[in-house]
Amino acid sequence: MRTYYIFIVMGLLIAINACDLTTEPIVDKLVGNYYSTPDEANEALTGCYDALQLIWSDGVAFPLAADVMSDLCFGGTGASDGEGFPMLDQFDLSVSPADLNVFEPNWKNYYKGIFRCNTLLQKIGNVNWDGQDELAKQIEAEARFLRAFFYFDMVRMWERVPLLTVPSSANTPQSEPDLTYQLIASDLLFAIENARTETYANMPATDFGHATKWAAEALMARVYLYYTGYYGTTDLVGAVTQTDALAYVEDVIANSGHDLVENFADLWPAASTYEAAEAGNPITEATYAGETNKEVVFSIKYTYTSDYNGNTDGNHWLVMYGLRGESYAASGYGSGWGACTVLPSVYSSWPTGDERRDASIMAIDEEGINYTKANDVKEYTGYFTKKYTPTCDEEGNSIAVNNGGVNFMIGQFQDYFSIRFADVLLMAAELGSTNALDYVNQVHTRAGLTALSTVDKDVIFEERRLEFAFEGLRYWDLLRYDPSLQYAANKVAFSGTVETGAAEVSKIIDGNNLVKTRGLFQIPNNQITLSNGVLTQNPGWE
Amino acid sequence: MKKNFTHVLLNRSLKRLLQYVLIIGVFLIGPSWVSAQTGNVSGKITDASGLPLIGANVVVKGTTVGTISDLDGNYTLTGINPGNQVLVASFIGFANIEQPVEIKANQTLKIDFTLTEDITSLDELVVIGYGVQKKKLSTGATAQVKGDDLVKLKTVNPLQALQGQTPGVNITSTSGQPGETPKINIRGLGTIDNASPLYIVDGVQVGDIKYLSNSDIESIDVLKDAASCAIYGSQAANGVIIITTRQGQQGKSQISFDAYYGMQSRAKKINLLNAAQYAQIMNEQHLNSGGSTSTMPFNLTNLPAYTSKGSANTDWLDEMFEKSAPTQNYNLGITGANEQTSYFMSLNYTGQAGIVGGADKSNYERYGARFNAEHKLYNDKIKIGQHLSVTYEKKKGIQVGNQYSNTLRSAFNVSPLLPMYDDNGKFFNTASNDIVDQNGDTYWNNTEANPYASMIYNNQNLRNTQKLVADVYAVVDLLKNLKYRSSVSTEYYSEDYRSYTPEFKLSIYSFSDYDKVTQNMSKGLSLAYDNTLTYDLNIEAHKITAMVGTWYKHNDGSWMNGENTDLGFDDFGHAWLSNALNTETVLKKITGAPFENSMFSQFARLLYNYNETYLLNYTFRRDGSSRFSEKKRYAPFHSVSAGWVLTNESFMEPFAGILNFMKIRASIGQAGNQNIGDEYMYLAPIKFTQATYNFGNTEAVSENGSFPKRLSNEDLHWENQKQIDIGFDARFLNSKMNVTFDWYNKTTKDWLILAPVLATAGTDAPYINAGSIVNTGVEFQLSYTDTKGDFSYNITPSIAFNKNEVKEIPTEDGIIHGAANTLYANSTEFYRAEDGHAIGYFWGYETDGLFQNTAEVQNYRNSEGTIIQPNAKPGDVRYVDQNGDGKINLDDKTDLGDPNPDVTFSLNLSCNYKAFDLAMFVSGVAGNQIVQSYRDHTNKYSNYTTEILDRWTGEGTSDRIPRVTNGNINYQFSDLFVKNGAYMRISNITIGYDVAKRIKVKNFSQCRIYASIQNLYTLTKYDGMDPEVGYGLDNGSGDKFSSGVDLGYYPLPRTLLMGISVKF
Repeated sequence: MRTYYIFIVMGLLIAINACDLTTEPIVDKLVGNYYSTPDEANEALTGCYDALQLIWSDGVAFPLAADVMSDLCFGGTGASDGEGFPMLDQFDLSVSPADLNVFEPNWKNYYKGIFRCNTLLQKIGNVNWDGQDELAKQIEAEARFLRAFFYFDMVRMWERVPLLTVPSSANTPQSEPDLTYQLIASDLLFAIENARTETYANMPATDFGHATKWAAEALMARVYLYYTGYYGTTDLVGAVTQTDALAYVEDVIANSGHDLVENFADLWPAASTYEAAEAGNPITEATYAGETNKEVVFSIKYTYTSDYNGNTDGNHWLVMYGLRGESYAASGYGSGWGACTVLPSVYSSWPTGDERRDASIMAIDEEGINYTKANDVKEYTGYFTKKYTPTCDEEGNSIAVNNGGVNFMIGQFQDYFSIRFADVLLMAAELGSTNALDYVNQVHTRAGLTALSTVDKDVIFEERRLEFAFEGLRYWDLLRYDPSLQYAANKVAFSGTVETGAAEVSKIIDGNNLVKTRGLFQIPNNQITLSNGVLTQNPGWE
Repeated sequence: MKKNFTHVLLNRSLKRLLQYVLIIGVFLIGPSWVSAQTGNVSGKITDASGLPLIGANVVVKGTTVGTISDLDGNYTLTGINPGNQVLVASFIGFANIEQPVEIKANQTLKIDFTLTEDITSLDELVVIGYGVQKKKLSTGATAQVKGDDLVKLKTVNPLQALQGQTPGVNITSTSGQPGETPKINIRGLGTIDNASPLYIVDGVQVGDIKYLSNSDIESIDVLKDAASCAIYGSQAANGVIIITTRQGQQGKSQISFDAYYGMQSRAKKINLLNAAQYAQIMNEQHLNSGGSTSTMPFNLTNLPAYTSKGSANTDWLDEMFEKSAPTQNYNLGITGANEQTSYFMSLNYTGQAGIVGGADKSNYERYGARFNAEHKLYNDKIKIGQHLSVTYEKKKGIQVGNQYSNTLRSAFNVSPLLPMYDDNGKFFNTASNDIVDQNGDTYWNNTEANPYASMIYNNQNLRNTQKLVADVYAVVDLLKNLKYRSSVSTEYYSEDYRSYTPEFKLSIYSFSDYDKVTQNMSKGLSLAYDNTLTYDLNIEAHKITAMVGTWYKHNDGSWMNGENTDLGFDDFGHAWLSNALNTETVLKKITGAPFENSMFSQFARLLYNYNETYLLNYTFRRDGSSRFSEKKRYAPFHSVSAGWVLTNESFMEPFAGILNFMKIRASIGQAGNQNIGDEYMYLAPIKFTQATYNFGNTEAVSENGSFPKRLSNEDLHWENQKQIDIGFDARFLNSKMNVTFDWYNKTTKDWLILAPVLATAGTDAPYINAGSIVNTGVEFQLSYTDTKGDFSYNITPSIAFNKNEVKEIPTEDGIIHGAANTLYANSTEFYRAEDGHAIGYFWGYETDGLFQNTAEVQNYRNSEGTIIQPNAKPGDVRYVDQNGDGKINLDDKTDLGDPNPDVTFSLNLSCNYKAFDLAMFVSGVAGNQIVQSYRDHTNKYSNYTTEILDRWTGEGTSDRIPRVTNGNINYQFSDLFVKNGAYMRISNITIGYDVAKRIKVKNFSQCRIYASIQNLYTLTKYDGMDPEVGYGLDNGSGDKFSSGVDLGYYPLPRTLLMGISVKF
């Protein structure tokens, strides 16, 4: 009997139900109870902007890829490196057959940005705005601007992309480009209506970098020109006409307070140190116009606080353009990885007296640079780019590192000027502004050239080539010139030799490859596999 | 201190027995006193360590004459008939000794007996978790290693001593750096994340056991099958290691002291190219890559010389290694017991310097103290006791991580032309414009940095860890056969770490413009409360032991990190945050956070046997954890096991002559794992860090942002392991030979992993339960012990086979991808977990020799006639086109082997002859591969090992090592990187001499002098410095399944040590 009781007691012991094991995170808030105050909505918006720093931090940066694929430069990089960059340059997967995922980090990071925007836009209705309706609209406008910005990059790169407007982990198929452009157009229309409208002069110094009405208008014009050019239509998916697009850029020209900076070289850190050195001044006396100058309508803002613990704040792609393996202290050029080697024919194509040539291209022999690492460069031409390139101090030490950057690779902090006022002027001219000649000449004469007497499409395109070389714009101009892509194919075609690791090798870019791929980028193979074939590859990249 | 836990228990029951035997003995022996003309024998009975054995039997064979030893181990036999007689000395748990003597009337012979432990004793006990069980009744697959055997191996970490001791427990060092914890897999790697076993020390769960000194350990029991582990339920999926520390022994108090001192050195040297060879290969590379003879990198007859000593020829690997680095250990133990109280106290110190960089750069020291005691109250009705251990560790280390954080690796790549010092005696700075060669040129490669100086500058750090592990327990006899045990235990640690980097410049990429200090602190406290109730019920031949219990554990703590620059003093000693003067926010960082988790469990066990012949066990555990959402918080784990002792059956009697014992056993059960990821892995937290944006016009002043960190998954639940085990234990030849055999099939499923979601999800994947690994294997251990007069010996070979296969990876492609960019700059993924392959298998191109001439390139076509490698040149690698599509791309990559050994084996040999003892330990693995990547192939100036001297230089010169080029065309990840990792190592040879056995000194029971060599010789085809490469890479998302990657591995040292062990 006693045995019986003992077993009952033991049974009861096992039947006790547990104590409360719930613990709560102390340093994290949870998705369920966040997005309730205007401050939290603002934080979430900053999180969306943070994705701007992310999108090009890994993989191949959008402007860099566009430059390599344009008629301005070759792939370059190190002589011992793989053939990934030449593969892009030649639109030919067989150059580096194993490189099936070069853009995967970009693809992932764009969707991180879109997820953050979508989450904020979905939760924005839960916020208790306490009467601050203006602020609510403004935050929504900026989030939608950013979403449009991300999708516009993606639809140009990959054309058919999964179109998500709310957060979702579903296996979503790719949308036809028109649907994506519809979302871009409606997001930008909302931003034009509701974004902040301070003029450049009235914008508080600490707020610079926020998307304004002016940025939305300029971006809309860029979207309009690309879509109508590439697809050969007369309007942007029925949402924006040429008249609308022109009106937007005219509004920016008339009302934004943005303007050209006087000296073209002042827009670029390395160009301005070069100019100082040429003038016989210390490079510390360069007249760089800074990152919040009046010409910047919209920029991606970078700083040197990137680290390897997850902080992505820097311009991680700048290092790719730099002089490979060596700095040149005399002109303030920091060392980098030597991608985007400029075609000699591009260097010689600038009109005599065009100040933009020396501000855009680093010419090893012409500038008398004592460069000893040419043997280490792939597709060496004697020319590197100068607009986006690392800088160094008079001892050759990285400026980024001097400022506290982790190293010269991720510590770079030069902002990317996404939309310059010069672009607004040239877009207005192209869209048929009555002031077209004046607008083009403002840009043309700033470069130290004499004014033009007439403008047409080809004049404007040439002006754009010289003005925006190595800013990631030229390639898209080539693609939108005519829908048959013959213009682009002719421009990028190349046959000749380059120097790789001190040896002369032949280099052929077949323009037909551009037509075959329609200039689109490869969709990351891992994502196709992960989707179990729901995603499909772009033509020419299978 | 020869006695072990088993005997503690035996002694207690023995005492009572003794009383009876003494009384009976007196009556039996009594009558013979009266007969005259008899002889006497007296002497002392001790164990091998010289401790007196109390109550040992001595009888005259074939007579009723016998006696029992007293409290000092002394005995006296009287009334023995003269003539040749045989004395038999025996004691439970020890082997009998038969001693022929010639008895003379009226004389007293003096005969001492030294009994040795009979390790095959049938009444041996094993620890089974919340209790002990007779080994012969155990139905689980467990293995026990005695503390004495661990002590002999003189390792710093007990896990190192456990290596090879038990089949199925694979221990691999992850680095030879002092203080590093080796990797341990019990019965194969079962998960992609944390595969460490659960450690229980005296009933207390602890995070690791490196705080323990071997000399404090009584025994280590390894629970391998699910049936044994299930009592620890949710935490036991990777096996359980139970450690019992020493406790006082009834009898005389004893003080033991052990000290050793040894020197360590590099066991194997790797040769890199010297300056002349290097320059020649660089020139050849240049020509092979299309360079012209006019632009050769080096003039071979006039190599550049940057110092007055002429051109340098530095062997960087020699520079990195210390010729001899000391290791030492001192240990003092005091033990004793009386009727009421037993105690064990110890103090120990261990110090080990590293062979890379010496004690300044990598060094480990541990100070430990322990106090264990137990008291009996109220006629033994209540026992209370405690274990207390306090440890202080000091550790300095170099980086032993991936290609970017591996201090030793750079020594493989820097050219021998780089001098160590410049003419001013300073470390050579390749970026200096002031240092020129005989032609007036600055250093030819300003990107390479002196690896030795880099080690000196970048590895100034110190980590202090203080740890306290303690428990207090009470065992109360509530009723007859009903015991209640309750204990409160704690593990507290506090750790601080500092590092300092001075201002320096070695190359254009290796420099620091400011000095920097990092200071981190963390602490954690876990408290656990255990309660168990055990009831023994015997009904005739039926024996039941029922146990129920509960366990609650709460764990919390916090950490804080800070870093800053511009120190007021520029040395490590002054590297504290308060000395850092910088005020710029970007260089000044401070972070900190708390952590907290808790668990609650209920468990029950029923042990049943009928006549000690038919055995049945059932175990149940229900576990709850704060790491899971409320709806998935609790999970049950069951196990059943059964055994049959064949030798108790009458039909086995004919075999009794050879087969002394045979038990067949089988088990099936479940266990879990939750020790993965962060604490709130089921939730979707908002992340506030790493989300800033630099609005405005001031660099580095950024606004804080936020974003949802990952998707939530409230259905997340326990990782689950199911295992079937079938085995037998047998003893043959008078129990001299002992055999254990096990077959198992272990399936671990529902891993807790970050799901590789589609990128469109836009944030980190949620943790999900998916994937499985099946490990199947066989374990076999044989032990043979015998004594021939003064000579006794033991031979224990063991072998284990394991097959590992991944299944059910939850992605469309069935793959968890490994990290890229880890073998050398921009290298691609080369290991992965994929359905149908071993975990962490190596994925790359298969090669088929080299193209010997252009005709071979042209003839290498697929079935459609496409030239497969049209750009290849003679001397290039021929890659196998697996799918025959006429091109070499990712689809042609294949399984090139895996790092998991198919076979692990060991051999233990030991023997004693009088005062001498000799032991040898050999262990090894086979059937595994190692990826070796010493050279950064994307840097054409990287040095090579001398293996490159056998490269292809023309038709027929080599079919294995490709021609040298500036590019990495021949170094796509292929089987050229994959090497056979099998090895057999003579890990330890020890020889000892016990002076106390020769020269009797009062009170000294042992005074043993010994010498041993560790890592004496390794038989292997692997050409790296050490084939035992546990190091692996990860993607930073908790995947820990990679191993066998040699990027410049910190090798285990060869150690020669001498020591003394004294007991009195």
